[in-house]
Amino acid sequence: MPRSVELEVCELTKRYSPQVSVGPISFEVYEGEFFSLLGPSGCGKTTTLRCIAGFEGLSQGSIKLHGERLDDKPPHRRDVGLVFQNYALFPHLTVFDNIAFGLRLRRLAKSAIADRVGRVLQLVDLAEMAARFPAQLSGGQQQRVAIARSLVLEPRILMFDEPLSNLDFKLRIQMREELRNLQRRLGKTSIYVTHDQTEALALSDRIAVLSHGRIEQIGTPGEIYERPATAFVAEFIGSSNMLRARIVGDVDSAKIVVTEAGLRLCCRAESNDMLDDGADVSVLLRPERVHIETPGGAAVPGQNRVAARIADVTYLGEDLHLSLDLVSGDLLRASLKNANSTRTWTPAQAVEIVIDAADIRLLRR
Amino acid sequence: MEGARTRPIWAFLTGPYAVFLLFLLLVPFANVAMYSIHPYSPTKVFLPELTLDNYRKIFDLYYVRLFGRTLRLGLITTAVCVVLGYPLAYFLARAMPRVQALCLFLLIMPLMVSAVIRVFGWIVILGRKGLVNQALVALGLEPVKLLYSETAVVIGLVNIFLPFMVLPIMASIERIPPSLEEAAQNLGANWYQMFRRTILPLSLPGLISGCLLVYSLSISAFVTPALMGNARERMAGQQIYDEVLVSFNWPVASSLALTLVLLTVGLMFCALFATRHASRRETAP
Repeated sequence: MPRSVELEVCELTKRYSPQVSVGPISFEVYEGEFFSLLGPSGCGKTTTLRCIAGFEGLSQGSIKLHGERLDDKPPHRRDVGLVFQNYALFPHLTVFDNIAFGLRLRRLAKSAIADRVGRVLQLVDLAEMAARFPAQLSGGQQQRVAIARSLVLEPRILMFDEPLSNLDFKLRIQMREELRNLQRRLGKTSIYVTHDQTEALALSDRIAVLSHGRIEQIGTPGEIYERPATAFVAEFIGSSNMLRARIVGDVDSAKIVVTEAGLRLCCRAESNDMLDDGADVSVLLRPERVHIETPGGAAVPGQNRVAARIADVTYLGEDLHLSLDLVSGDLLRASLKNANSTRTWTPAQAVEIVIDAADIRLLRR
Repeated sequence: MEGARTRPIWAFLTGPYAVFLLFLLLVPFANVAMYSIHPYSPTKVFLPELTLDNYRKIFDLYYVRLFGRTLRLGLITTAVCVVLGYPLAYFLARAMPRVQALCLFLLIMPLMVSAVIRVFGWIVILGRKGLVNQALVALGLEPVKLLYSETAVVIGLVNIFLPFMVLPIMASIERIPPSLEEAAQNLGANWYQMFRRTILPLSLPGLISGCLLVYSLSISAFVTPALMGNARERMAGQQIYDEVLVSFNWPVASSLALTLVLLTVGLMFCALFATRHASRRETAP
């Protein structure tokens, strides 16, 4: 089913000075989609959001909402809701008045305002708090008021600027789920800015990973994690082992690479085919795809088996993190689920690591 | 531990200033109040009998007009300071730190210049052959009489009291996060609506303290009206000065001074009451 494009950002460029600029950035957001802009601080994600909201002017490019130019309208005529990082609730107004703020500007009848505010308060589960002031609410409740205040106006798009970063860990997880459910229920097109990869993976239909004012990759959480397009994406999303290597040949549609330290690996990940023999590459290996066995296992085609020594074990409760010294001199990190079978690993133990050839991705360097 | 908690730290913190206030404000104030209820005597300062004559005198046409003029000039000065000061305060509150520091310095400069020198500056500008009139003549217009008028007094008072309006407003606007302005715009408010519904109500405490400061300073001003005003259209401060140092009529001077204080305090209470009332209505569900 072809989905219609709600928002189209085309060659968005914002120049602050000859040295500092964002873009050009282009992406499309589909109707009903939860789209995230993910990247470290200073990557341009908040600038992009502020350009869409109209608080920053574009140096170049265009933004279209339903095919209609958005970038020449003033911020108050854009019909895109924004939930601020610090919520930006009006401290002198009650929860009710905060939410009614936009409706009053639109000169709705008193009864209609009360009706719509009441409904949205139900939606975010704050019906009893209508008469409170923002200062009398918890962080999570303030967050919900901020969302309700935007939602009540039924904007075309709802945007979030790091909305969970001011909450403590447990509340953040809880709000993340609430946000996800709310968005699913309403089918509201949403753009979410965050530097937290877990948030982006958990919430998004698609993610755009940004770095230094450019988009590195756009894709579903699965694509971004499993098939990162660049070394930056691989390192930023999740943790990863990156080894510098060179392709030395082909065996049965698999590539053979040799790392700088001399480790020979067989790789069979899908998108490796475009790379030629002799190309310098980075070998990407997720720690949870590194399996550990006692030495002496039988070799199976399509698997890499390498002798190693456990350098260190970090106990993290749910997981165990292992540092491994390979015979080649390479270092690898492995992440294992905490189970009876994994608790026996101790530092200095000689082991064999097993890596499926399909789990090794090669990235052009 | 109990002892540490109950030790009256506040007495050490506020004590020195409390003593200062007691001896240099409350005692003289009581003394003034005492003078004001005794009749005047040319030879003995006052007579040892009680009277309200000094206060009755205030209802003489001359004194009614004196206070009327004083309060009116105070109001005009305050209003001009609001009109000039509020935009300035907003600009300063949102300016970059370096711009803000420079502008604050320029704003406060008039306060660092002695009153007499400042007034001489104004005489050069506003005088009969001053800069303003020279410019008017050069443009082929009639010269105007600016100096020694109520206009000159208001100009002089605004010049020195503007910082007292700008600083409290600036402080209260600085406490309003800029994201609040953006949130209001994002919810559909144009600049004027945003200002009226967020910045204005949230900076009201600063605006009110600015008004109270400028107003009470203006109605008790002495040097500026004395040097820049018309000798026959005085303000209350000048009259009190004359009663004390020229006529030596301390009882009447005291009653005038107390009336001025009561008017100021009364107005302050009205303003505070009005704002509390307004803010309560603003927040009613």
